[in-house]
Amino acid sequence: MKLASEQTLELDEGHVTVGQSFSDDPKMTMRNINVFYAEKQAIYDVSIDITKNEVIAMIGPSGCGKSTFLRTLNRMNDTVDGCRVEGDICMDGENLYAPNLDVVELRARVGMVFQKPNPFPKSIRDNVTYGPKIHGLADTRVDLDEILEKSLRKAGLWEEVKDRLDQPGTGLSGGQQQRLCIARAIAVSPEVILMDEPCSALDPIATAKIEELIEELSQNFTIAIVTHSMQQAARVSHRTAYFHLGKLIEVNPTEQVFTMPQHQLTEAYITGRFG
Amino acid sequence: MVKMSFENHIMKQFDDELEEIRTRLMEMGGKVEQQLQHAIRAISEADSKLAEQVIIEDRRVDAMEVDIDEACILIIARRQPAASDLRLVMMVTKAVNDLERIGDEARKIANHAIILSEENEPSVGYPEVRHIANSVTKILANALDAFARFDADAAIRTIEEDKQVDLDYKTALREVVTYMMEDPRSISRAINILWVVRSLERIGDHAKNLCEQIVFVVKGKDIRRR
Amino acid sequence: MNNRSDTLSKIQHSLTRRNRAEARFRWYGRCAIFIGLLAVAVLFFDIISKGHGAFRATYIKLDIHYDPELIGINNLADNEQLSAGNWQALSKTALRNKFPDVSGRQDKRRLSKLLSNGAGFDLKDHLLANPQLLGKKESVWVLADDDIDTYFKSWLDGDAYDARMTAKQVQWIAQLHQEDLIALKFNSNLFSRGDSREPEQAGIRGAVMGSFLTLIMTLMLSFPIGVSAAIYLEEFAPKNRWTDFIEVNINNLAAVPSIIFGLLGLAIFINFFHVPRSVPIVGGLVLTLMTLPTIIITSRAAIKSVPPSIREAALGMGASKYQMVLHHVLPLALPGMLTGAIIGMAQALGETAPLLMIGMVAFIVDIPNGFSDPATVLPVQIFLWADSPERAFIEKTSAAIMVLLSFLIIMNTSAVWLRKRLERRW
Repeated sequence: MKLASEQTLELDEGHVTVGQSFSDDPKMTMRNINVFYAEKQAIYDVSIDITKNEVIAMIGPSGCGKSTFLRTLNRMNDTVDGCRVEGDICMDGENLYAPNLDVVELRARVGMVFQKPNPFPKSIRDNVTYGPKIHGLADTRVDLDEILEKSLRKAGLWEEVKDRLDQPGTGLSGGQQQRLCIARAIAVSPEVILMDEPCSALDPIATAKIEELIEELSQNFTIAIVTHSMQQAARVSHRTAYFHLGKLIEVNPTEQVFTMPQHQLTEAYITGRFG
Repeated sequence: MVKMSFENHIMKQFDDELEEIRTRLMEMGGKVEQQLQHAIRAISEADSKLAEQVIIEDRRVDAMEVDIDEACILIIARRQPAASDLRLVMMVTKAVNDLERIGDEARKIANHAIILSEENEPSVGYPEVRHIANSVTKILANALDAFARFDADAAIRTIEEDKQVDLDYKTALREVVTYMMEDPRSISRAINILWVVRSLERIGDHAKNLCEQIVFVVKGKDIRRR
Repeated sequence: MNNRSDTLSKIQHSLTRRNRAEARFRWYGRCAIFIGLLAVAVLFFDIISKGHGAFRATYIKLDIHYDPELIGINNLADNEQLSAGNWQALSKTALRNKFPDVSGRQDKRRLSKLLSNGAGFDLKDHLLANPQLLGKKESVWVLADDDIDTYFKSWLDGDAYDARMTAKQVQWIAQLHQEDLIALKFNSNLFSRGDSREPEQAGIRGAVMGSFLTLIMTLMLSFPIGVSAAIYLEEFAPKNRWTDFIEVNINNLAAVPSIIFGLLGLAIFINFFHVPRSVPIVGGLVLTLMTLPTIIITSRAAIKSVPPSIREAALGMGASKYQMVLHHVLPLALPGMLTGAIIGMAQALGETAPLLMIGMVAFIVDIPNGFSDPATVLPVQIFLWADSPERAFIEKTSAAIMVLLSFLIIMNTSAVWLRKRLERRW
């Protein structure tokens, strides 16, 4: 093992990710991912596995490519003009970028929660049942109601909203809105949930509730979370991946990253020396 | 050469706070070192005044421990240190504990020095005490030195030296027991000597703990009980 | 310390200057608004003071004897007889009975000129609606001539305009007024008739219908086309040089003088596709060309104002792009699009120039009933009347302007109301 303190803050050309980026029981495997926005390269040669039912946190300074990377996992980058993804991304061995794979199906399997709570300006009921409806997961209203209640319960929101399911979702508080978005995402029973800074717009109490929820959800779902808050990564994740200037610097169990990171850059970032 | 730095945080106050607990720990180390030297001199020169001074000064050592501990808690609460910062703060909280215990042992030695100085008898056991005292003083000095420079290699070497002290301690025990068997009248004095040697050995152990903490700070590896 | 008080005094000094500048600026604003309001008030006062009279017309009460012999008919069901009948004789005879002492050809002709030359046909329509009246007598309010109308209204106001009146006529009016046989009544003709050369018989119904049909045509064409174009450009089109080019052109089109669209319509729709002239179809087509840029631009703005987070949410849920647009973007953008459409329609309603080019300026008496009937529109009607020499058309013009303005106000208010009503906060 190379000592953290022996490395410089400069990143060498052919950087190889340090730590434990691979898994014996992967849900998703990514190999040699490069992402370009037009001519600009955003992600450089990233290889990592996401283990089944783990919570993996991606941290790094702004513009390090962690959000871009997250968005390659459900091909949200497809909607960006001029975005090009190279490399292999597989889920359960199936290539996500295969020409015959439908992104609609993919996004039903890989759900996403965004930075800003973005419920549709519709009722709470419509918000949650939107996914099941467009994917045809429920045939009757009874089935839909069942999904509605189950999802809201899992998101820890049922007790708070069960009496006002037909009121607009935008009338909820920020934290409730974000949990509504989580309920909406899990309503289609995805296998993986991507979270892009889900708490950055929330107050500490709402954040704590979401974090508790993430902990519970990790029993059924595989979760990849991008966060600006290192403490949050430390609290909720099992593994932490550190990105720097589009490169994956280090992946290690969270407890190791936050006590004795392997790479000098990780150390400098999490101790607050830049970022 | 390993170089540790606790500077260049985005928050400059954080640098200052870390630097402060570090210097205060050094200060406390210096104080404890001095206490030990005085206690040993009190025995070898049968200087009960010096011994009393050591006993009184120990309160200051205790106060320093409390102060540094508070500073550490404040840093944890305010800065949520991570990685090397976290290791440093944790190390300091443990190190002050060790230093305080070293201070306690020095006080015990001073107590025995007072008793021994009142007895006015032949200097049975002094060579053993002096021998171990020299080694232990050196170990403590080395440990504090290693801390000042965050020198993990020096710390590991010091840990090796402590093993020699343990051996010397066993030899000294045997010799003191021999005295007791040879001359039953010297038993009470020999027991005092025994306590002093025992305290010195404990000080060596605490110094070793300190070195282990230094290695933890620098390398992030816990080398205790290996 | 010295330095600080120095700074403070400087700040205070500049503060009075800044406050004065701010107050001055506020007054500029108030003046600007006052001038604007004044202009509007003057316009409204002028139009209303000129046009209010047109809503009432002068009628003369006559005892009409529906004498079959006088008219020269014996069967109301016979169309040939009806069209050959001497209907004017009915009112003329009644008038002569009213003033039996009038003699001489000239005086008799002047006497009959008191009445509108359409009076006979009004009586015919009345008789046809009530056949039992044939051979009977009845008191009827008969429409007066426009010169009489102008004179009577000005005479009532105390400033008699008698330039086109003879002394006899003035005397007859005075006599009729004394006997309460002449009066101002609500001018239903204004709202129920088409254009006419005779001011007292002219109405705006034809123009309103023409405007209505043309606008329906415009709305049916421009809203779907405009909205689809906007959605395609905003959501689906790749951002490249081509779409930039298209965007620049759309913005340019919005600024092109409307008469150019008229010429374009003339060249393409009439000369090339041989669409008939003067009909609402071609008017609608031309106005569609004109309003499309407005609708596309406002619709694009409305689509752009839908927060991207909603799009992301929909796509993230696995909605296809089409579902995202249909389920989420469109409902949120609709109020803005409707507002844009209404504003575009209001613009189209007030447009004259392009319609002149495609023959909607023709003199059309019949009220259009379909998209292919020759028609004219309100602003063109106003233009035509303003051009007419008869004095009575002055108040008609103003009245038509009032009607047009009220339609515009209604449309713009409904645009504001719609936006307020449908707008959602998120």
